[in-house]
Amino acid sequence: MLPLFSRAADPDQALRHLVTLREKDPAATDALLGDTDAARRLIEVLGASEGLAVFLHRHPGETVVLAEPIVGPASEADYRERLVGVVDGLGGEAARNALRIAYRRELTRLAAWDLDQAEPIDAVARVAAALADLAAAALDAAIAIARADSRFPSDEVAATRLAIVGMGKSGARELNYLSDVDVIFVGGGDGIPDGRAIEIATRLAVDTMHAIQELAVEPPLWEVDANLRPEGKDGALVRTLESHLAYYDRWAKSWEFQALLKARAMAGDRELGERFVAGVAPKVWAASSREGFVESVQRMRERVLQHIPHDEVELQLKLGPGGLRDVEFTIQLLQLVHGQVDPEIRQRGTLDALVALADRGYIGRVEAAEFARDYRFLRLIEHRLQLARLRRTHLMPRGEAEQRALARGTRIATTADGLLEAWREVQQKVRSLHERLFYRPLLSAVAALPEDGYALTSAQAEARLAAIGFHDPRGALHHIAALTGGVSRRAAIQRTLLPVMLQWFADGADPDYGLLAFRRLSDDLGEAYWFLRMLRDSSGAAQRLTHVLASSRFAGVLFERFPEAAAWLENDAELRPRGLDELLEETEATLARHAGDVDAAAAALRTARRREVLRLALAGIVGLIEIEELGVALSAITTAILSGALRLAHRWGDEVEFGIVAMGRYGGAELGFGSDADIIYVYRPAGCEPEVAQKRAEQIVHEIKRLTEDLRLPLDLDLGLRPEGRNGVIVRSLDSYRAYYQRWSLTWEAQALLRARGIAGDAGLLADFERMADELRYPAAIGGDAIREVKRIKARVESERLPQGADPSRHLKLGRGSLSDVEWLVQLLQLEHAHAIPELRTTSTLDALAAAVEADLVSEADAARLRAAWIIASRARSAMTLWTAKTADVLPADRRALEGVARLMEYPPHSATRLDEDYLRTTRIARQVFERLFYGSRLT
Amino acid sequence: MDKQRDFVLRTIEERGVKFVRLWFTDVVGTLKSVALAPAEVEGAFSEGVGIDGSAIEGLTRASEADVLAHPDPTTFQILPWRGEVDPTARMFCDITTPDGQPAVADPRNVLKRTLAKAADRGFTFYTHPEIEFYLLKSSKLKDGVPVPVDSAGYFDNVPGGTAHDFRRRSVRMLEDLGISVEFSHHEAGPGQNEIDLRYADALTTADNIMTFRTVIKEVAIEQGVYATFMPKPFSAHPGSGMHTHVSLFEGDTNAFFDAGGQYQLSQIGRQFVAGLLTHAPEITAVTNQFVNSYKRLWGGDEAPSYVTWGHNNRSALVRVPLYKPGKGQSARVEYRGIDSAANPYLSFSLMLAAGLKGIEEGYELPPEADSDVFDMTSAERRALGYQALPSSLDRALLIMEESELVAETLGEQVFNYVLLNKRREWAGYRAQVTPFELEANLEAL
Repeated sequence: MLPLFSRAADPDQALRHLVTLREKDPAATDALLGDTDAARRLIEVLGASEGLAVFLHRHPGETVVLAEPIVGPASEADYRERLVGVVDGLGGEAARNALRIAYRRELTRLAAWDLDQAEPIDAVARVAAALADLAAAALDAAIAIARADSRFPSDEVAATRLAIVGMGKSGARELNYLSDVDVIFVGGGDGIPDGRAIEIATRLAVDTMHAIQELAVEPPLWEVDANLRPEGKDGALVRTLESHLAYYDRWAKSWEFQALLKARAMAGDRELGERFVAGVAPKVWAASSREGFVESVQRMRERVLQHIPHDEVELQLKLGPGGLRDVEFTIQLLQLVHGQVDPEIRQRGTLDALVALADRGYIGRVEAAEFARDYRFLRLIEHRLQLARLRRTHLMPRGEAEQRALARGTRIATTADGLLEAWREVQQKVRSLHERLFYRPLLSAVAALPEDGYALTSAQAEARLAAIGFHDPRGALHHIAALTGGVSRRAAIQRTLLPVMLQWFADGADPDYGLLAFRRLSDDLGEAYWFLRMLRDSSGAAQRLTHVLASSRFAGVLFERFPEAAAWLENDAELRPRGLDELLEETEATLARHAGDVDAAAAALRTARRREVLRLALAGIVGLIEIEELGVALSAITTAILSGALRLAHRWGDEVEFGIVAMGRYGGAELGFGSDADIIYVYRPAGCEPEVAQKRAEQIVHEIKRLTEDLRLPLDLDLGLRPEGRNGVIVRSLDSYRAYYQRWSLTWEAQALLRARGIAGDAGLLADFERMADELRYPAAIGGDAIREVKRIKARVESERLPQGADPSRHLKLGRGSLSDVEWLVQLLQLEHAHAIPELRTTSTLDALAAAVEADLVSEADAARLRAAWIIASRARSAMTLWTAKTADVLPADRRALEGVARLMEYPPHSATRLDEDYLRTTRIARQVFERLFYGSRLT
Repeated sequence: MDKQRDFVLRTIEERGVKFVRLWFTDVVGTLKSVALAPAEVEGAFSEGVGIDGSAIEGLTRASEADVLAHPDPTTFQILPWRGEVDPTARMFCDITTPDGQPAVADPRNVLKRTLAKAADRGFTFYTHPEIEFYLLKSSKLKDGVPVPVDSAGYFDNVPGGTAHDFRRRSVRMLEDLGISVEFSHHEAGPGQNEIDLRYADALTTADNIMTFRTVIKEVAIEQGVYATFMPKPFSAHPGSGMHTHVSLFEGDTNAFFDAGGQYQLSQIGRQFVAGLLTHAPEITAVTNQFVNSYKRLWGGDEAPSYVTWGHNNRSALVRVPLYKPGKGQSARVEYRGIDSAANPYLSFSLMLAAGLKGIEEGYELPPEADSDVFDMTSAERRALGYQALPSSLDRALLIMEESELVAETLGEQVFNYVLLNKRREWAGYRAQVTPFELEANLEAL
């Protein structure tokens, strides 16, 4: 008998249970052991299933089912006859016990046949179908019990119709050894009013579920899960057919339609069940044409992935990466996209659907066969896993002994390691499944791929592209053709990469632009070895690249000038902003390299600026940099080019000292993408006559403007904050500034100087300028008149400077509770208190705000609200520039733009409305704080 | 193809419908309508109908200048008052942005959102309004005041028809539109009527109120009279309120019911009422949205001017009625502040939000007011802690402006818009020189 034990998944366990069994019923056991075939079946069952072994211990007589050869799973009708037969004439608990014993008897027979297969992987589909049939038979028997036990008048019970529609795996006839059985109950009256019939049917349904799953001497079978019904747990357990259909017409969500894909009349009143299935079928396929349908299905999958507990991901057969869910999801998605026009692929079962999809040319036959095998492989492991304890689990056991038993039971390997290795291999393949089945065929529509042997039509490919979010699928197909056509090395590599990248582009805010920009980049970089290597070997960098291109026209445009920057995406260190010192060093080196050629030097400076701005843009898009850091870094880049230009314009021996003073947000080191740089110029004669010095200073100014002019990435030097504004001279001597301020001493000038910061030029001159500024901006005392004047000007600016027709609640700079409100409030505090509190002497808005909290001038809560508004407005401004490559000050009204901006601000997809509401709320609350602190409490 | 849609398209053809009206409501609560030819309906189902949002109150934001109205086929009804000459039908619509997200400024969406929030906590919200209105001889004034159809409060002198006609016609039409009602003739004011809509979930009720107002107006026209929902058309007679009974259900159970509680009101019910009372001043600018609304609130006649609750107290803002034994499912409380001219979608949203807040924060219900608050001196009211509702639209707006509850519930856009729009109304009102002033001052000064 010993060789028989080699057939057992776990021979020790088989022997142990055999001993127990013999103790309980020596006669029955010995009878089986006397026949080699029967003994083998018994040992296989006991060795693979603790759960069935325990059942046989309870009912040793049931071992008799293993006595005869088992030719295959029974038919659906046979199962029904056997299970319904045993409950006939019984009621109450006796009926429940009889049903459950009969079910487990058949389960034992089925498992014995399954375990006895030489290649159990080939039997997976038959076993799964038989399990579904057996479950259906159990439900039919349970209904029979419920009807027999019913306390309603028997004529009314007889006139009550009740159908059980199988959903999910039971609907698809691919059930596991032990899973919940998803059902929907449909009721109706046959000669009695619907209301009464539903009342009775609901009771019948509850009793049916109890017969399966409530406690009795013989343990429950499995959970009957009716939560896929309309309105879920809160909905009525049983509805009429009409009520179901009305619900699906009116209320149902996308996932409910997806669930209906597999609906099948399973038990109870077949005619009614089939009418239900026929009634919902057209809705399922109409649903896929609804806007956002595919999207919501994909979102559903994202949610599924996120919900796996972290420590289980590695062990998950079903939900983990490369698990069963991946196969099922991809196939359902393909069915939904193409099934609308092609009824042939509307199959319930996963394996049937794979075959149909291949038959109709939506996926390759080779792939279809491969994945069918992978799917069966995973299912086989799952079957054995569940069979072991008759427990619902999808987790690979951690213990080696259990893994080994699994390896032997599946006949996949003989050792635990062998099983794990084979499993990992399948996981790897399944992980790429979505890409291979959904995206890769898109290429076949435009490029001949001999290895596939089939091709999608353009229309089919366009349907897929549109379903995943391309607005111009035809254009996208052209780009795909251009990227993958030809025999070049690049085309070959891109043929491999594009399917994955298309998936990533589709996840972006603007897939169409992303693909176009990638095509341009690819044309620019040609055969550059590193680029192709990066795309091929570094999926992180390639994914980042698609993300950047589908998010930002600003980055797309800069890439055209500097495609090499793609290389940085591989390395976070390259995306870190470079410090001012480092930038200035580079400026020095550039000037030295181009000594004698001013224009060449200036061109090199401009190139460096574009490169560094692109670096920041990339860092901003991939989320490596906070808004405050961005402001400092962009200001440093501006300082670097201005320092260089000044050095070129201002030479030794021109007998003037010259300086550039940053003002406004540049002074505060708070620049965003596309911000103007506010500056003023100052000089001091150093040896020449005052008139000559003024001329020379003006020449320097003109030269700086000429040298920094960049059409590609404009640097707008804004001199509007100089004395006398637009009417004033473009540059003044330090004495002239002093005289001007002494004469006019206007508070708003002092306020502007709060942000003055010397950034380039002769150090002594800049220091003297700042000393002069300090006297004005940090006055020892400031009069009530001056304070009132500041407030009044602010009030006037609010109404006057806002562009005609602009919505004040959406204007990021001048609007309600946005940047200028926060800045004015902080500046007012500085004017009043910075003399006494040196910590307030900073050009940075947020630093000054923090200092004001320290000094108890503003409460922490108020400051937090102001800071939040300042940050959201600043972030939105930068994000808007990144999105469109244009600078704008009004939060976009256009929905797509708003969506793009929201994504750049790291909101999840579909958050346009959320950003809108967040922005309006944050600024509204900040405005309340501002009004209270700046204007004072309301006068009523 | 969708069965409901099919049904609509087939009915249009079979009944020879000439126009289909798409209905939706603006922020103020005015019913808006876009007419479609039958041939356009199919397209409207699949893609929605582009409408110029800038022409609609509250949808003035540039981004919503271009919005889509999606007709809901389940609300399809042939309008009974057009007769068979030129059959016309209507459907309610949901408004979305061009990218398919619900338009934030669609009041129906505001209510849906708030109901969803309640649903997240396991609650459904039911309402049952008692709508009062006046029937006038016409919209023309006589000696500066409107003229009611009857003077004694009896319905015997309707020109061009009889009292019974109006009643029968309205009930019939409402029933044709699937709305069942209880009609009662209110005797307090001449020509004043009250109709109770049946208990239903708040969204259905709000839709029904919109339909109801239209029906009443249409029947009045048919009968040669004029119906008005203005909160206080006569200074000498009671105003038109819309007392609304509300309750929360958890599944099939009335969450307000507790057989052992005071007035059989559960802890949840008490907290809900406490929420309503605490936030009542904040939501008043919406539940009582016109200058004229405050003439009703402060016009006496049992109007609920003070924030109190009571059991059989007809002057309380919230009344807790006693129901028949064994009728626990009908446990409810009655909010008496709201008037007939309110936007039902926004008002129900705020009432629900205020109540939920009370539950979430576990507000304590203050002691019951057991005598008429009006009869007290102001010192007495102060001593008992009875706060007053805002005395004017202006004050109501000042209070609402500071309310996070209202901002959060309405959404920033609607919140902004209501404030803006109502401040404009107040400014317009303040600029008036009224007959009162002329009478009191002109000759005396």
